[in-house]
Parts: sequence; structure tokens; C-alpha cells
Amino acid sequence: MIQFKNVDKRYPNGYEALKNINLTIDQGEFVAIIGLSGAGKSTLIRTINRMHDITKGELTVDGTDVMSLHGKSLRKFRRKIGMIFQSFNLITRTTVIKNVLTAFVPDLPWWRATFGIFNKEEKMKALEALDKMGILDKAFVRADQLSGGQQQRVALARTLAQNPQIILADEPVASLDPVTAKQVMDDFQRINREMNITVLINIHHVELALQYATRVIGIRAGEIVYDGPADQVDQSVLDAIYQGKQEEAV
Amino acid sequence: MSLFDKIFPPKVITLPNGKQIKKPRSRAPLAAVILLAMTAISVEVTGFDMGVLVQRINQFFVILGDMIPPDWSYMPQIWQPLFDTIKMSLLGSFIGSILVVPFAMLASTNIIHSRVVVAAMRLLLSIIRTLPTLVSALIATYIFGLGTLAGTTAIAIFTFAYIGKILYEEIETVDMGPFEAMEAMGATKVRAFISSIVPQVLPSYLSNCLFCFEGNVRYASILGYVGAGGLGLILNEKIGWREYASVGMILLALFVTVFIIETISRAARKRLV
Amino acid sequence: MNKRIEAAYEQRPRRWVFELVVALVVVALLIWSGSAVETAGTTQNGAKIAWNILAGIFHPDTDLLFNLTKQGVPYLLLETICIAFLGTVVGAIISIPLAFLSAANLTPKPVAFIGRIIIMAIRTVPAFVYGLMFIRVTGPGAFAGLLTMSLCSVGMVSKMYIEAIEDLDVRVLESLDAEGCTTWQKIRYGILPQLMPNFASTAIYRFDINLRDATVLGLVGAGGIGAPLIFAMNAYRWEEAGAILAGLIVLVLIVEWISTKIRVKLARG
Repeated sequence: MIQFKNVDKRYPNGYEALKNINLTIDQGEFVAIIGLSGAGKSTLIRTINRMHDITKGELTVDGTDVMSLHGKSLRKFRRKIGMIFQSFNLITRTTVIKNVLTAFVPDLPWWRATFGIFNKEEKMKALEALDKMGILDKAFVRADQLSGGQQQRVALARTLAQNPQIILADEPVASLDPVTAKQVMDDFQRINREMNITVLINIHHVELALQYATRVIGIRAGEIVYDGPADQVDQSVLDAIYQGKQEEAV
Repeated sequence: MSLFDKIFPPKVITLPNGKQIKKPRSRAPLAAVILLAMTAISVEVTGFDMGVLVQRINQFFVILGDMIPPDWSYMPQIWQPLFDTIKMSLLGSFIGSILVVPFAMLASTNIIHSRVVVAAMRLLLSIIRTLPTLVSALIATYIFGLGTLAGTTAIAIFTFAYIGKILYEEIETVDMGPFEAMEAMGATKVRAFISSIVPQVLPSYLSNCLFCFEGNVRYASILGYVGAGGLGLILNEKIGWREYASVGMILLALFVTVFIIETISRAARKRLV
Repeated sequence: MNKRIEAAYEQRPRRWVFELVVALVVVALLIWSGSAVETAGTTQNGAKIAWNILAGIFHPDTDLLFNLTKQGVPYLLLETICIAFLGTVVGAIISIPLAFLSAANLTPKPVAFIGRIIIMAIRTVPAFVYGLMFIRVTGPGAFAGLLTMSLCSVGMVSKMYIEAIEDLDVRVLESLDAEGCTTWQKIRYGILPQLMPNFASTAIYRFDINLRDATVLGLVGAGGIGAPLIFAMNAYRWEEAGAILAGLIVLVLIVEWISTKIRVKLARG
């Protein structure tokens, strides 16, 4: 369970990215966060695994106060939260399986991490994660030879190998074509349903958000202006979120 | 399937759900073995000895120490050979890069369709490129006598080979549409080349020539050693007489010159590309 | 409308002034450099000498070429390869810390600037000066040659390493951070895999160049094939020089072919 209580986020330059956020997300929810660019979607997602710090209020994940974590405890905490990025963030010059294997690195003893020695169990887990994403046959291909959709699946497999409870996805389909985007969203849905993993997605495409998410959170200028089921989002709600600029936003 | 995979067949991994995947054998062990073997042989042949290096490395700094401070009073005698070096590399680079243009054209598969001509040209360029500059400089001194003419020739030959390879690779990657259009309008190959390929290739060609010139200034300083004029001549002389303070001054002058030329040339290349 | 067109015409790029100046400067420089072409006592029969040289080079001394003793071309080539190889390895290793210190995206500006000046200074000193300095350390021979090669390699290799470091994709680090990796793990799994192929490719490229430049070492007695080649040429024994050159050229071409293959493989996977 992720809980925001009166959370504020102010950047060092004085810009207020989040204002008084109150939010409770239960295990197994599929949440889409929509809003204009710069509204604070990305900041909101990144505060959860503390890629960004919050400046006021309280943020807890499964009862852990995120702001109390440091160094080792923070890294341990991040192990159970997977993260997916718009630009896939793979090491393109190595093979797919090596990318997936990095998911195990933080748990390895230092000498195995240094020399890159993975045991059979870890390799099999990585292969299984790739199989779940339907790209087992690409396991030993270099990542830069894959298409964008395939690369995002590798990123998903890497996250799955981490065995997370929560997956945060920052614009995961923004650099993919519409058909591939749908396939990747299908993958997210499957992961959410079959493994009961909480999925939080930042997304520009309102249509995709409404189609896949069970809950939609609309953000405008750092404030939550809508929070409710996806099927209750109508034109007036979208107007409120996008200030009538929806055409440009989509 | 490459030869490597035939010798070391991929390993088949079976997942618990019965699916199979082939894992190609890693090349890393083979590469490591080759590298280690080459290192071992090289250490043996060259007599590399870490102990000697650690013990006597201070000797390396003896000459370096003698060079500092440089002998400023020697500077007036450096100007002439310094300018000779710059002149040699400038003229040599210019001649070499102009002369090579027709040869590079003949070595481009998209301009010349005869495979024989292209192959012959490329072989010629490769052989000239592998000919050590020092050797061409030495030969040039035998033919033209001692002096800067020999150095200029050596630099021109080096530039010829260096620019040649880059240029034909560059020509092969251009858009051939305009060339075909020109030929279709009845232009000769040469004229079509000038008005359709040249504008595409020119900026990077000039940039490469400048880059080559930068390197040549540095290289020209060696040529004097075999009598081909320029800084190398006095450098050789001063080293022979163990006047290391003068050597330091020559090197400092060369360093400043190269720095200035590189700065100018880099600024020019930024404008070009 | 007319005004706008006129204004646009007024603002047309007046490049011809600039181009004319550049052209004039270039022509002036060329004329100035033409003044340097002088030669001390050109031998009148240059063409005849050239012919003798060519005749000799194309009739290489096959005894020398296939002689398997330490004076034969094969052994000299092996020694040259070894000098170039070990020189490249040592140079590539020295370049790594230098490059990290001089990469503008990692170190503060002044440090990076000083690093670059040092690299340039190392690059400026001609090879034979290094050769003489190293001979004091190790005595004449291949050992001095490989040390010279390594120092000569540092300039170019570290320059290319710097470019690779400055091109690093830092987004990977973000995802490793989100996975909970420590700083060392981020370097090991985020940065090294990106740099390794690049560094290897650069080193192989430099090996090619070192092999070609190894003749310079012969000038100062720092081993390799240079010394016999220069002796042969100074003594006008062109058949011998031809044999050595033939061996060297074939070797360089083969090595270049192999190294290009490996580098393409490294770049494309």
C-alpha cells in the first residue's frame, strides 16, 4: 500500500512540483496518472522509490516511511519496486540476458558482482522472465539490435526478474508506435492481473489510460484534480485536467 | 553460423516449462587466451622487465629535467626551421590532398563500375599508406637531395594515402540521385561529379585535410632526422650535442605552434561540418 | 510585402567577403610555404637514382625475406609486432586514468583542461626523443622501443577514450539506481559495458598505427625492423630494403584486414 499524506515537493530552484498530495493506492491496483507535460506526473512517480525527495508531508510504502531511508536501507527498499522508463534505459552494447541479470546484482556478494558471475538459478530466472515477455528467442542477441517495443519488453523482464510488488512506469509507451504501445500496455495488464503487482503508469495517451487502467489520477499544476475509476472519466473531467487543452495534449 | 559456432557449438538451455534456447559460446575466453599468449610472447621477445622499469625509471626524467628550464636565448635560431616545418606540412598537405582526388574517384565503386580499376586503385592506396613516412622521406632525400623539398614530398605522399582512403569511403556514402540526374542530362562523368558529388563531399573533405595537416605539423618535426629539413634537423643536432635545454626550447616552440594550429583548425572544422 | 522582401534581401548572408578573405589567406599561405622548397645540392641524376631504388625494391632479397634466424625478416617482423602489441597495451592502460581525469563531464573544468594539456604535450614530443630518453632507462633494444610506443600511443588513445566517456549514456545509471545498485555496481554494470567495446576498438586501431610507425624506433636503436631497414637504405642495398619493406607491407595489410573485421564486430555485435 502506497500512502501520500499532505505531500509537497519543491525543487531547490523554488518550483513547486507537488502541492498537498493525499493518495492511497492498494496492492494490485492498475493506476494511470494523466496530465499535461510539467504537471508533476513524473515527479509524483519518482517520489515513491525516492528518486526524488519530498519536501513536506509523509509518504509510506507498506508502512515504511520513505524519507527515513538512507543508503543501504534505501537500496533494499528499491529492490521491491520496479521502474520502467520512456527511453528503456538498457545497456545497448551487451546482450539482452546480461541486461536482465543486472536485476540480481544488488543481492550478490561483492566478488560475484565485480566479476559478473551469475549462477544457474539466476540465469534460469532471467530466461523465464524473458519467456514471460515473449522474447526468449532474443536472449543472446545484443540489445541494440532489438526494436523499441522489444527493448521495452527487455526492460519489463529486467523488472520482473527483480520480483517486485510495485512497478512504476514513467511514460513507458511514449516512444513507441501505436500498435507496439498497445502490446506493451497488454503486457502491463497481464503482469498486473496474473501476479497482483501494483502498476503505476504515467501516460500521455488518454485513450490508452482509460482502456487499461482501473483507476485514473488527473494532475494539474502539481495538484490532484481527479481521482476515481477509469470508466467515470468524461469530457468535463478531462477538461478539468487539461484545462481545455486536451487536443494538444493528445 | 560462423566458423566459431561450428567449432564450439551453442549450448542448449531448457527452461522448466520445456522451452529451449541456444546459447552461443562466449568469445571472451578465446579472446583472453589469444591476448595472454600474445602478451607472453611479447614480454619474452622484447625483454620487458618491470623490475628494471621501476628501478631505473628515474633515468627517464634526467633528460626531461635537463630540458627544464628551456634555453630561451636559443629561440631566435628556432624560428627559421620552425617555419620550414610549417611550410613543409602546409605545402605537402595541400599537394597530397589535391593530387589524390582523381585517384579517390577511381577507387569509388559508385563512380567507377569496373571492379578491376577500383581494386587496383585501392591496392595502390593501401600500399602507399603502409609505406612508412620515414622510408618515403629517406628515398626522397636520395632523389631530391637533403632539404625541405624531400620533407614536403614525404608529407605529400603520406597525405595522399591518408586522405585517399577517407575520401573514397566518403564518396561511396553520398546520395547518388543528383549524379544520375546530371548524367541523364548529358553531362560527362567528371562534370557530373563536380556539380553533384563535390558539394556533398567537400565539407568533410576539407575538414579531413585540416585534420591531416594538424598531424603533419607534428610528423614533419621527425623528418628532419633523416635530413628532410625542418625542426628535426636542429633537434637531432642538439640531442647529439646533449644541449638538452635547447632541445626543451625546440619542443616548447613546437608544442605552442601545434596548439595554435590545432585551435585554429578545430575552429575552422567546426564551421565546416 | 515589398519592404519585407527588401529587408530579407538586405539581411542576405554576405558570405562572399568572408570567403574571399579565406581564399586570399589560403593562397598567401601557400605562396609563403612555397618559398621553403629548397634542396641542398640536388643530385642531377635523381631520376636514375629513383629507378635504381624501384628496381631494387621490386627485386627483394629472398634469402633475407625467408631467413629464419634472428637477422631474417620473419624474426624482425615478430619483434616489431611484439613491440607494437605490448606498446599498445601499456599505452592503453596509461590512457585510462588520463582519459577519466580529462573528461569534461566527470571532472571539474580546470582539471579536465590540465589533463588535456598534458595529453597534448605527450603527443607533441617526437617519438625519437622518447626513444633516446628510454634508452637511458633500459639500454638499447626492443624494451626501449615498446616503452616509446606506449608513450606515443597515449596521446591519440586517451583523446579517443575521452570522446567515448563523454558520449556515455547516463540514463542506464538511472535504471540501475532504481534497482537499488550501489555506486560501484552502477560503474561495473552501467559504465564498463558501454566503454569496453569502445576502448578495445580504439586500442586495436592504435595497434595498426603502431605497427606502421614502428620503423621510427630504428632511428635511435630502439629495436624492431626500423634499424635494419634504415641501414640497408643508407648503404644503398635496395634489394635488402625491398625485402624488409615487402614483409612489412604484407604484414601491415594482413593485420589491418583482421583488425577491421574485429572492430566491425565490436561496433555491431
